Amino acid sequence: MEMPATSEMASTQDAPSEASGGDVIIQTQNLTKVYRDFWGRQKVRALKALDLEVRRGEIFGLLGPNGSGKTTTMKLLLGLLFPTSGQALVFGKDATDVSKNERIGYLPEESYLYRFLNAEETLDFYGRLFDMPAALRRQRIDELIESVNLGWARRRQLKEYSKGMARRIGLAQALINDPDLIMLDEPTTGLDPIGTREMKDLILRLRDQGKTVLMCSHLLADVQDVCDRIAILYQGELKELGRVDRLLTVQDVTQIQARGLSLEAQDEIKTVIQRHQGTLMSMNNPTSTLEELFLNIVRDSEARPGRRAQEKQ
Amino acid sequence: MVLEREILPFLVWLLPRVDSDGVLQLGALLLVLLIAAALLVASLFIAYLRMIIVQGPGEGFYAVAKSVATAVTKDFPNTSWRRIGAMTKLAILESLRRRVLIVFFVFALLLLFAGWFLDPASDHPARLYISFVLTSTERLMLAMAILLSTFSLPNDIKNRTIYTVMTKPVRASEVVLGRALGFCAVNSVLLLLMGVISYGFVVRGLSHTHTIDPDELEMLVDAEGGQVLSGRTSFDVGHRHDLTLGPDGIGRTGRRMDHEHQVWVEGEGENRRYRVGPPEGALVARVPIYGSLQFMDRTGRPGEGISVGKEWTYRQYIEGGSLASGVWTFRGLDQRQFPDYIPLEMNLSVFRTYKADIVSPVAGTITLKNPTTGLTSEALPFGAQEFVVYTHPIPRALKAVTAEGTLIDVDLFEDLVDQQGDLEVWIGCSDAAQYFGMAQPDVYIRGQEGSFAWNFAKAYLGIWLQMIIITFFGVMFSTFLTGAVAMFATAIVYTVGLFREFILKLVGGELDGGGPLEALLRIVFQKNVQIDLDMGPVIDRAVPVFDQLLLFFLWVAAIVFPDFSEFNTSRFVAYGFNISGNMLLQHFLVTVAFVIGLSIYGYFFLKTREIAA
Ligand SMILES: Nc1ncnc2c1ncn2[C@@H]1O[C@H](COP(=O)(O)OP(=O)(O)OP(=O)(O)O)[C@@H](O)[C@H]1O
Ligand SMILES: [Mg+2]
Repeated sequence: MEMPATSEMASTQDAPSEASGGDVIIQTQNLTKVYRDFWGRQKVRALKALDLEVRRGEIFGLLGPNGSGKTTTMKLLLGLLFPTSGQALVFGKDATDVSKNERIGYLPEESYLYRFLNAEETLDFYGRLFDMPAALRRQRIDELIESVNLGWARRRQLKEYSKGMARRIGLAQALINDPDLIMLDEPTTGLDPIGTREMKDLILRLRDQGKTVLMCSHLLADVQDVCDRIAILYQGELKELGRVDRLLTVQDVTQIQARGLSLEAQDEIKTVIQRHQGTLMSMNNPTSTLEELFLNIVRDSEARPGRRAQEKQ
Repeated sequence: MVLEREILPFLVWLLPRVDSDGVLQLGALLLVLLIAAALLVASLFIAYLRMIIVQGPGEGFYAVAKSVATAVTKDFPNTSWRRIGAMTKLAILESLRRRVLIVFFVFALLLLFAGWFLDPASDHPARLYISFVLTSTERLMLAMAILLSTFSLPNDIKNRTIYTVMTKPVRASEVVLGRALGFCAVNSVLLLLMGVISYGFVVRGLSHTHTIDPDELEMLVDAEGGQVLSGRTSFDVGHRHDLTLGPDGIGRTGRRMDHEHQVWVEGEGENRRYRVGPPEGALVARVPIYGSLQFMDRTGRPGEGISVGKEWTYRQYIEGGSLASGVWTFRGLDQRQFPDYIPLEMNLSVFRTYKADIVSPVAGTITLKNPTTGLTSEALPFGAQEFVVYTHPIPRALKAVTAEGTLIDVDLFEDLVDQQGDLEVWIGCSDAAQYFGMAQPDVYIRGQEGSFAWNFAKAYLGIWLQMIIITFFGVMFSTFLTGAVAMFATAIVYTVGLFREFILKLVGGELDGGGPLEALLRIVFQKNVQIDLDMGPVIDRAVPVFDQLLLFFLWVAAIVFPDFSEFNTSRFVAYGFNISGNMLLQHFLVTVAFVIGLSIYGYFFLKTREIAA
């Protein structure tokens, strides 16, 4: 099937979705990051003038090929990097403000945890960093270890953990403070299919609890399954932004599929189509896959560099 | 022991004053405040310059102001002990994982082998043993502190484990403080273990006894007609003692190698045995009572001593065979403390203008004078030798010379010590053309004995304080340098601190040969320090300018960095002097000042560092 150009794919006059009414949790304005070397020389323009809003209660996906600036965006939001220009606000506070971390959970790209601690010690350590009292810590630790299915390995040092186990304890670590905003950098890498499924269910469950999730990934199936809205980055530029269901609806193709139509009615429709020099295949709006959308954006960006996205609802 | 510097009373040390030369001394408190203010201004200026480059003048100013405001209003007040505790615990676990306890075994091994090489038959075995354990503990401990503190944070940044930490509500100050406290805790435990082992090593290493062969004893009759046994002990660990046994069967040996033994008789007739107790007096902690020193010149009038051009400038010399003398005034002496005699100890340095006979002591006299009545005792002769501490018990019963020139019997406390308990001790040199060098701490009255074990512990406290300062320096550097560089920087701080005195002299132009670059050129081109550099007009001009700049930085470093040589109190213990609580308190406060200052710097460096860059 012929794919229409992405630019015409989504309509802009749709009614605002239910998520857009909520308050803004993350806001970036003109957020730009240039990596410099020791001498201050410019190395990489990793992020170019990003404007983004993530609202309460939505699952927001950052997409893009390797090196497109997803992790950079996340680190800027966490205050691990300082913007070259523009600003990033989280909960209305500057991203470098430490106190915003009280309500954030972060799962980094890889499990950057202390390998000489065991699962309990790890969670206890991070719990203390949230100034949690001992009783509360113990309770959270038990709950979390249970929910990531690591009960059998809770006293083993992390250096003995497999990649997927490390990922799970990393997730538990991100949830220790019962955060309102969870940032997940490629949450499903290293997980087996069951683990991936569980991770996705967990993300949906968190959303249902009213939490906001920002995740980045290049595993499109995952994003398609769970995200409410996505932004697609390519070489540090925002290429596409909008609701997943809308973005994947091909607006200029109509698919008609019907039952119980009389022969006359079918003939009538056929004549209408013939009158317009069309061929009826079936009747509806088909959805493309995210993979197709993604590849199209990449192709399109390479053909016409510099084009930037408008928010599509 | 020769004290290089006077230990000031606490308040004199702390507060501003005008010293005896009329020079204003700032005192520690003002000095710290001044340095802090200077550092504050300099740091803000440098931070502003950096932000101007990054963000431009207006924005840069705003950025600096904002980060200071955040620190003061948000981060410091919200400090949580639980978070600091978490970082501390992490640092401890990390250290244990890095198997720091191995250092302890290295130390134990070191002592094991040292036992073979330390010669208990040396002239001053206690000095040897104590210096050895304290020096090796100090070196090992400080190396340990540098290694532990400098690599940890850079490793966290390299492994990116810091990402999961800094995205929690933990403040940079808590990370710095927690880390440093953790390493201090680990090192403290190590130090404690080393201390206990060292103490055992010293006590065991020095412990020995002798036997007495009854055939070598000789019966004498003393002044009261009692029977006294005299003789000598067996020869063990390189020495033997003379001994006398009183009529009651109890006696003491003579003093050899800084110690003596008690001797007693057990049993009767056939079973009569002579016993020798453990060594006594080797491990002591004298508590000296210092007086104030005033010089009399060779005509006997108050004046200056002579500089013989060596040693420390503050030690002055008096000429033998003249009226020149050093007068120590001791205040507040209490008869109850010294019922029988006043134990005067001195450690004069001797400068011989002729050395035909360098073995026999140089003769001197001690004269005691009542500061109020002017009554003066007869001169008591003594002999002084280099590097030897002499004890002169001044007996109660003395003879004094009246104005008419007749000798009368006087009592030390009744007649020579005045109402306020003050006493003047005049010390002169009677050998013409020989000199005595004197400084205030060289002559003192030996007050009550301190406990050696506690004194030993206090020396360890000195090492402990150094370890804390080094650890905080290490952690501070590691917030913005890589591990190896931070280690190097910390080592430099320690070195500069150790040679602070030398650097200050160098900067003050008191040393020949010019600054570092000039000195290097002189070495390379083999020009001795007395001649001009003379290498062409350009070099002759440029070298001093360069050196001045270099010396300026060294000067700043020497002023700001801690004086580690001052913290090293092992010589006190080794020479058997009590480490005064006052000095310990001074060192403690200096440490606190460094801990606070370095934590603040560490906070700002870590806070303004782009961790993921
Ligand atoms: N610390 C750094 N120093 C210099 N350049 C960096 C640094 N981190 C990232 N970059 C560069 O910035 C760009 C964006 O990197 P980023 O990590 O944000 O990509 P990403 O979208 O997360 O990719 P991936 O899907 O592979 O995780 C890349 O070109 C990368 O090389
Ligand atoms: Mg990434």
